[in-house]
Amino acid sequence: MMSITFHQAVFYFFSAIIVIFSILTVTSKRILRAATFLLFVLLGTAAFYFILNYAFMGALQITLYAGGIVVLIIFSILLTSHVGERFEPIGWGKMIASALVSLIGAGFTLYVLLNADFIPTQAPLPDASVKNIGTALLSYERNGFVLPFEVVSLLLLAAIVGAIVIARKEPHDTENPNNE
Amino acid sequence: MTGLVYDFSVITQSIDHYLVSHWGPSLAATIEFVLVGILYLLIYALVGLMLVYAERRICAFIQCRLGPNRVGPQGIFQTIADFIKLLLKENIRIERADKLLFFVAPFIIIVGSFLAFGTIPFAKGLHALDPDIGLFFIMAATSIGVIGILLAGWSSNSKYSLIGAMRSGAQIVSYELSVGLAIVTMVILTGTLQLSEIIEMQRDGWFIFKGHIPAILSFVILLIAGTAETNRGPFDLAEAESELTAGFHTEYSGIKFAFFFLAEYMNMFVLASVATTLFLGGWMPLHLGNFETFNHVMDFIPPLVWFLVKVFTVIYIIMLFKWTYPRLRIDQLLSLEWKYLLPINLFNLILMSVIVLLGLHF
Amino acid sequence: MWQDITLQDVLIVSTLMFFSGVYGFLTRRNLITMLMSVELMLNAVNINFVAFNYFLHPENMHGMFFALFVVVIAAAEASVAIAIIIGIYRRFKSINIEDVSNMKY
Repeated sequence: MMSITFHQAVFYFFSAIIVIFSILTVTSKRILRAATFLLFVLLGTAAFYFILNYAFMGALQITLYAGGIVVLIIFSILLTSHVGERFEPIGWGKMIASALVSLIGAGFTLYVLLNADFIPTQAPLPDASVKNIGTALLSYERNGFVLPFEVVSLLLLAAIVGAIVIARKEPHDTENPNNE
Repeated sequence: MTGLVYDFSVITQSIDHYLVSHWGPSLAATIEFVLVGILYLLIYALVGLMLVYAERRICAFIQCRLGPNRVGPQGIFQTIADFIKLLLKENIRIERADKLLFFVAPFIIIVGSFLAFGTIPFAKGLHALDPDIGLFFIMAATSIGVIGILLAGWSSNSKYSLIGAMRSGAQIVSYELSVGLAIVTMVILTGTLQLSEIIEMQRDGWFIFKGHIPAILSFVILLIAGTAETNRGPFDLAEAESELTAGFHTEYSGIKFAFFFLAEYMNMFVLASVATTLFLGGWMPLHLGNFETFNHVMDFIPPLVWFLVKVFTVIYIIMLFKWTYPRLRIDQLLSLEWKYLLPINLFNLILMSVIVLLGLHF
Repeated sequence: MWQDITLQDVLIVSTLMFFSGVYGFLTRRNLITMLMSVELMLNAVNINFVAFNYFLHPENMHGMFFALFVVVIAAAEASVAIAIIIGIYRRFKSINIEDVSNMKY
């Protein structure tokens, strides 16, 4: 019996990164540190996708999450807080209650997971090349995704317009917001 | 096949066979990762140092000075001496800075540019990574860098750094769009994202000639937007010396400052390599139609030399930008992107689609 | 290729990630960190989609496409959420949800 293969070592390394940094993300006292730890979690997730051979998904994860969402989050942090700012400590009662909720949830899920009987498929590995993904995204056959693709493009347009409208400075309520 | 074949995959495969036969697949993979990593780190640092030297010489040439010329012949060891000096310098500790993020930020930037550097095809079979999402992977990897800049600016608790980081963040995020669209325009022509295939398709002519008008347009756009994305040239208002001392890396000293410096130059190298691969045929030699003799002479030059010559030509153009044009203001910068480059780019995208659809390219 | 990793391994990691997101969502009082916790949960779900796809039903990559659309929608959601957060900050000079309870009444 071989002790541990190279693949497993890589996998465990990234699992450790994901678990440790997820916990740090939600417990860190400084907001920008939390955002950085979130970045590491997202990169670890991208590594998972690369490990599972979904390279396109991994690259998408890096571009959209690391290059898009985390940058947005960091930008809004830069606009709304300053260095040296710490969160107030959470009350013990609330902390214990939340920890209990998540621990019970995690325990229950893990219990179900470990007792579930997943039948590993014998089907050949998916061919997740860009060509296949692109064809499937724009195909209107049985396994095509052209409708969600177009709907998502509409949604993105709506999100762009919505974000601009919401965050825009009103020209005439600069001084006193309650004085209509 | 043409006369001489310089195929490096033979060498890499024989090394791989040797390692696997001696240590088994798992250990061999580990050893290969470590070997390739060390090799690439060395190349990365060396190319970075060479680029710093080249920039100083070119800058001096444009300003009618001599530039570094004391350390070694023509001063080629000047940057190595500078590097050693930076290594020995004190790492200044910043009071009331976020120590952890201050420490992590340069590494994030380096990791981003190093990942992109790994995909560059130097010659046939001479690349660390060749995923079928090649160009997309490069864009993903380079998009990590901006986070490092933002973190560096925020964590050093200085107004100059913060303003520099905000400027540079806005700049990189908006110019990423143009770089992406310019690349997508070319992807319509190539029909693939894999870098090795893209180069293989340019055997009988580079894409800048094959795709004529839209290819030339997107080459120019890629150079402009890429220069802006690497915070260089006339777009360096993130580190405008006269306004912000040094922008987001004001508070950095010693080796960490060297990291920022190195990453900037290597991002430029990656940009030049992508431009070379997409438009100038990568390591493919220049072939002219039916001039058999000419083509044979060109084939004789090794692909690595071809690649480096093209890359350094592009880098020379980028450096000329930097030393001949005055710096843009922030409003000029943003209106250049959103009012000029983006519409031209979208128009160019449509033009390229029409040309590819009607088969008007060569 | 990666047969030495089982589905359970991946799912355990994503479960831990999801429930740390839940913990963060319950304890944090800052809008941005709450958004970050939500992103954690979304990511965990994404990993599940891709893992189930890879280990159980690799034929049509449906799981991967689901994850792909989730990522895109998460991007749209984050952009609108951050626009809202900036708007709230402008009006209340704070992004702590305790200070932004005006809308309750």
